[in-house]
Amino acid sequence: MVLKKLFIGFIKVCSVFLAVQTSTFAKDSYILKFATLIPSDTVWMKSIVQWSEELEQKSNGRLQLKIYPGGVMGDEPDVLRKIRSRQLHGAFFTGYGIGRIYPPARVLEMPFLFHNTAESDYVRQQLMPEIEQGFRDKGFELIGWPEVGFLHFFSKHPINSLEELKQRHIWLWQGDPMGQAFAKAAGVSPVPLSIMDVYTQLSAQHGSIDTVYNSPFGALAMQWHTKLKYASNVPMTNAIGSLVVSERFFKKLPADLKTLLKDSGKVVAEKINQHSRRDNEESISLLKQSGITFMWDWNDTEKAEMISIRDRAAEMLDENEYIPTRYFDQTRNILEQYRKQTALKHNQ
Amino acid sequence: MKKLITYSLFLFAFIQLSGCSMAQLTVKASMPMIEGGMLALNREPDLQLAEAAMPPNIELMEGMVINDPNNDTLRNHLAQAYYGYAFGFIEDSNPERAARFYRRGLNHALYNLNNSGLNRNTITGDLESLQSALNNISKSNIAALFWAASNWAMWIDLNRDSTVALADLPRAVMLMQKAYDIDDSFYMAGPHIFFGVYYGSRSPMLGGNFKQAEKHFDQARQINNNQLLIVDLLQAKYLDRQKFDQESFHKRLSKLVNNTDQLNIDMTLVNNIARKKAQLLLNKESQWF
Repeated sequence: MVLKKLFIGFIKVCSVFLAVQTSTFAKDSYILKFATLIPSDTVWMKSIVQWSEELEQKSNGRLQLKIYPGGVMGDEPDVLRKIRSRQLHGAFFTGYGIGRIYPPARVLEMPFLFHNTAESDYVRQQLMPEIEQGFRDKGFELIGWPEVGFLHFFSKHPINSLEELKQRHIWLWQGDPMGQAFAKAAGVSPVPLSIMDVYTQLSAQHGSIDTVYNSPFGALAMQWHTKLKYASNVPMTNAIGSLVVSERFFKKLPADLKTLLKDSGKVVAEKINQHSRRDNEESISLLKQSGITFMWDWNDTEKAEMISIRDRAAEMLDENEYIPTRYFDQTRNILEQYRKQTALKHNQ
Repeated sequence: MKKLITYSLFLFAFIQLSGCSMAQLTVKASMPMIEGGMLALNREPDLQLAEAAMPPNIELMEGMVINDPNNDTLRNHLAQAYYGYAFGFIEDSNPERAARFYRRGLNHALYNLNNSGLNRNTITGDLESLQSALNNISKSNIAALFWAASNWAMWIDLNRDSTVALADLPRAVMLMQKAYDIDDSFYMAGPHIFFGVYYGSRSPMLGGNFKQAEKHFDQARQINNNQLLIVDLLQAKYLDRQKFDQESFHKRLSKLVNNTDQLNIDMTLVNNIARKKAQLLLNKESQWF
């Protein structure tokens, strides 16, 4: 009888122990489902895969990244919808996706603003606390800020002037308020399409578009260059990118995993930045080798015209509260301050 | 004696006129043995023996190429041998080494194409000029086109982090498209398998086309009378994975691993490699899905 009681007691203890073990394991291991448009066969994706391995290793398997590359989860709005409906937890977004979370961050993509990456790096650093808070208020944790690179126009036909550009069937990323504002300000009638359809439309004999915009590396990685012959020399803007995780997922993580995710995310974003800058530069010569002719060096009149188009677009973006003027002014002030400091250093 | 002198003079004149050295004649005379060796290797059921046999054969052929550098058949065999060795035995354990072998295979095939008027500058130059040159290349170059494209595509796949590789991809595709246009059933319907992988391994945003991929894999199966297991292996590895279709992936590969059918004897080696690789892919299932 005593033995029986002891045995039952032992079983109870074991059951409780096992239950605690199971729930601890279930609570303590996390799979971050992460989607991106980045093609799987690129160095950027390799960095993300290495990040995934690092997370798994440093967390002893408690935090794992399940990656969905190359747009297999759909265009950025689809991915965003899937994150909101908890099918996914994180993503690499370009400026387009960022604009759907926290539009003012796209002030960093305002065309013809920065002369070089040192300027954009400095301004971004100054604005980052505000941008991070903006993301958080919208339910996202900003993990890293890798850039896509400087955007150029690519076309099947020569582009030597704004007038020629206006005659082209230019792709516009469907539902992008920033692109819409610029097209309107420039008097261009773009063709709105999801990025998923660009390659098909460029490949079709009578496709709806003949001109697109992308970074040189993006054009190469997405193989758009095989359908195009010309590119604009002058880059429009340094396109931004972001690594984000839903706040809901992030909050569930224990403190050590939060720190691991944020610290390693910053490192991988910086690595992608370095690759992006190197690859974009290399891609220009590879595109030329493949037969793409880079053309259209602006004269002063054209430059002034482009900047006035940018300013008209900025007014429209303020009117629809996409990027309030105060953000644009703040950005320009920081930039001005940086240029003064740099000039001063040069003069010393 | 007079006869002997006449014979020797005749032989000397023949060698001079044909532009062949004694070594080249020896190489040419040895070609049936090389071809017999390749056939025997394709029929080899023991993977370990095949793996050990391939490097000496490759080295032998490399030696023969030194003596007869313009022997296009030999170079095509070498391009094939490097591809087979890297794919079958090296790439899963040592991708960097495999990439070097694919590159060597590519170089042999490019050498042949160069001799046929498609020089390296054209191949690595602008895509429009390459297309024009391909439009004029003779059908007899199908082997060089096929092995150049196959080795190149694998080299690109193993050098994903190189922008040069990304820029090379359309070139490899153009070479294979030409091979496809000449004869889509070439080397066990290789062009169909290539395009099955090409369309199946990319998302639609990047030019992938799942229906096209399925069509090519089906065609490859049909041309090979369902005897070639590698088709299923590659369909699972690329198309099922790209579609995130775990069920098909698992089913296709499990069926392949458990396949004990007596299939076409000339496909024994490649089918056994497919079985081995299928098991390796099944081990990655939980990581990929």
